[in-house]
Amino acid sequence: MSLLEIEDLKVTFTTADGDVNAVNGVSFHVDKGETLAIVGESGSGKSQTAFATMGLLAKNGRATGKARFDGQDLLQMSQREFNAIRSKDIAMIFQDPMTSLNPYLKISDQMAEVLMLHKGIGKSQAVKESAQMLDAVRIPDAAARITMYPHEFSGGMRQRIMIAMSLLCQPRLLIADEPTTALDVTVQAQIMQLLGDIRQDFGTAVILITHDLGVVAGFCDRTLVMYGGQVMEEGTTDDIFATPAHPYTSGLLKAVPRLDRDDGDLLTIAGEPPDMSNLPKGCPFSPRCAVSLDRCRSQRPAMETIGNRRRACHLPASEVA
Amino acid sequence: MLSFVFRRLAVAVPTLLILVVLSFVLMYAAPGGPFNSERPLPPEVLANIEAKYGLDQPFWKQIVNYVVSVVTQFDFGPSFQYKDRSVNDVIAQGFPVTLTYGFWSFVVAVTVGVSLGVAAAIKQNSWVDYFAVGVSIGAQVLPNFVMAPLLLLVFTLWLGWLPGGGWNGGQWQFLIMPVIALSTSYMASIARITRSSMLEVLNTNFIRTARAKGLPMRRVIWKHAMKPTMLPVLSYLGPAFVGMITGSVIIDVFFSTGGIGQFFVNSAFNRDYSVIMGITILVGTLTILFNLLVDILYAWIDPKIRY
Repeated sequence: MSLLEIEDLKVTFTTADGDVNAVNGVSFHVDKGETLAIVGESGSGKSQTAFATMGLLAKNGRATGKARFDGQDLLQMSQREFNAIRSKDIAMIFQDPMTSLNPYLKISDQMAEVLMLHKGIGKSQAVKESAQMLDAVRIPDAAARITMYPHEFSGGMRQRIMIAMSLLCQPRLLIADEPTTALDVTVQAQIMQLLGDIRQDFGTAVILITHDLGVVAGFCDRTLVMYGGQVMEEGTTDDIFATPAHPYTSGLLKAVPRLDRDDGDLLTIAGEPPDMSNLPKGCPFSPRCAVSLDRCRSQRPAMETIGNRRRACHLPASEVA
Repeated sequence: MLSFVFRRLAVAVPTLLILVVLSFVLMYAAPGGPFNSERPLPPEVLANIEAKYGLDQPFWKQIVNYVVSVVTQFDFGPSFQYKDRSVNDVIAQGFPVTLTYGFWSFVVAVTVGVSLGVAAAIKQNSWVDYFAVGVSIGAQVLPNFVMAPLLLLVFTLWLGWLPGGGWNGGQWQFLIMPVIALSTSYMASIARITRSSMLEVLNTNFIRTARAKGLPMRRVIWKHAMKPTMLPVLSYLGPAFVGMITGSVIIDVFFSTGGIGQFFVNSAFNRDYSVIMGITILVGTLTILFNLLVDILYAWIDPKIRY
C-alpha cells in the first residue's frame, strides 16, 4: 500500500461568478520515502491539490474524491481527526517564507507548540528539541536565536525554520509547495540541498510542488505534470526528461533556458493558462497545443498507462517531439 | 522604551500649552462674558466684578497668570458661575462620576464589541455573522441621545425596573442605563473593526501555517490571530476610552448623573471661562496619556515596533 493515494480528486471553489474547478479528477500515489514532483504552470491546480490533501482549502473550496493516507481517507476525516495527523504525519512548507511564520510570536513559541500538541511534552523540553531541530537545518547559534522573532531572520533562514518546524514530529510525508520560489538562486540551492539531506536522514516522503524543472531533475524520483487541474503525464523523472510523451511536457522542457546552448530567444508555450471556470471541452491544453488534432478539442483524452508511465494525450507517444 | 516615554511626555508639554492658548483665544474671541445677563449690571458693578476675576487685564497678562497658577499651584481658578466653588472642586465632584460610568461603558463596549466581532469573523456568512453585523449596525444607528430616552421609556416608565436618574454614589441600578446608552455606539464600532481585522488576519499565510500544525481552531484564533487582530482595534480604543471617561452631556442630562459632561456644556453657555479651560486641559491631558499608552501597547504586541 502506498503512503498517500489520491484518487479522482476534484477541487471546486464557489465564487460569485460561478464555480471554479481548480482540480479536475487528479489521481496519483506517493510511496514511503519516495519523492514526487508535481510540476505545472501557475493555475495548473498543483498547489490546490496539496491544500486539499492538507485540508487547508480556502473557505469557499471543497474537495471530493479520495485522499487515502495510510489507508485512511483524509477527505472524510473530522477536523479533530485531521488535526491529529497534520504536522505529526503530514507536514507542509509553503511558498512564501516571509509571511508563513507568525510575526507576532517568538520562533520558540511557534515551534514548541507543535511538539507540545502532538507529543504532549512540556514547554522547556519542547523548546530544547526545537533548538536541536534548528541546529539540524543549520541555523547558526540556534539555542540563542530561537527566542528571536521572524523578522530578525532572512528569507532563506525563515524557510529553514519552516522546514525545521515541519520536521519536528518526523512526519512520514512532507509537502513542499514551491519552497524556493521566493528565494534567490544561491539560497534556493541550499534549501534544496537541505531537503535532500532530510529525505535521507529521516526517510521522509516528499511531494515537491514546483514550476522549476531544474529543481526537479536532480531531486525527484517521479514527476507528475499537471495542466488545467488535470494530470497530463506521469513517470520517472529520468523518463519524463529524456522522452516526454505529452506535448505540454515537451513544451515545458523546451522553455527551460539553457546556458550550454546558444538558442537565441527564450522559447515559450504560446497562449495563456486556461480559464478554470470555463475549461475547454476536450484536452485543456488543446488551445495552446501546436500538434493538436481535431478530436483533442472535443474529447478529453483518457489516461493510458504503459508500464510505470501514464499519459493523457490523443497523439501517439512516438509522435511527440 | 523609557526614553521614548520621556520624549513623548516632553512633547506633551508644548502640546498642552498650544491647547491652552488656542482655547483661551477662542473664548476671548467669543462675544459676551460670564457676567452678561438679560438684565445688565450697572457698569461700575460689572467693572468691579471683572477686576476681581482679573478680566480687566490685557489678554496676554490673563493667559500668563492663568498658566502660572496652573503650573505652580495646580490651581485652575474659581468658577465664574458657582461663586463658592473652584474649578478643582467642580472636577473633583464631576469627574469621579464620569470616570465610573465611562470606565464601565468601556469595559462593556470592548467585551461585547470584540466578542461580536470575533464571532462574526470566525463564522463569516453564517447566521452568527449576520446577527453580529445586524446588532452592530443597529447599535451604530442608535446614538446615545436616542438610546437614552428609549431606555428611560422602557426600563423606567414601562417596566419600572430602574431608577429614572440620579447617581446615588454610583450604585449599580443607577449605572446600568448610562452605561448601556454610552457604550452601544462604541461597541458597534469596535465590533466592526474587530470583524474586518480578524477576517483579514484569518486569510494570512501564518494562520494557514498554524492550521497546518494541527492546532485546534480555538487555539489558532487565540494564540495566532488575536494579537494582530487587536492592533487596529487598539488605535481606536485610545481616543474612545478618553471619550467615554470624560463623559457625555447627553448621559448627564438624561440621567441626571452629575458628571463633568454637563458642567462642560453649561460652562460654554455661561462663558464660565475657568471651567471650560479646566475641563479642556483635563481631556487634552488624558488624550495625550492614552495615546501614549496605546503606542506602548503597540510595541508590546508587535515585536517589529521598537522605540
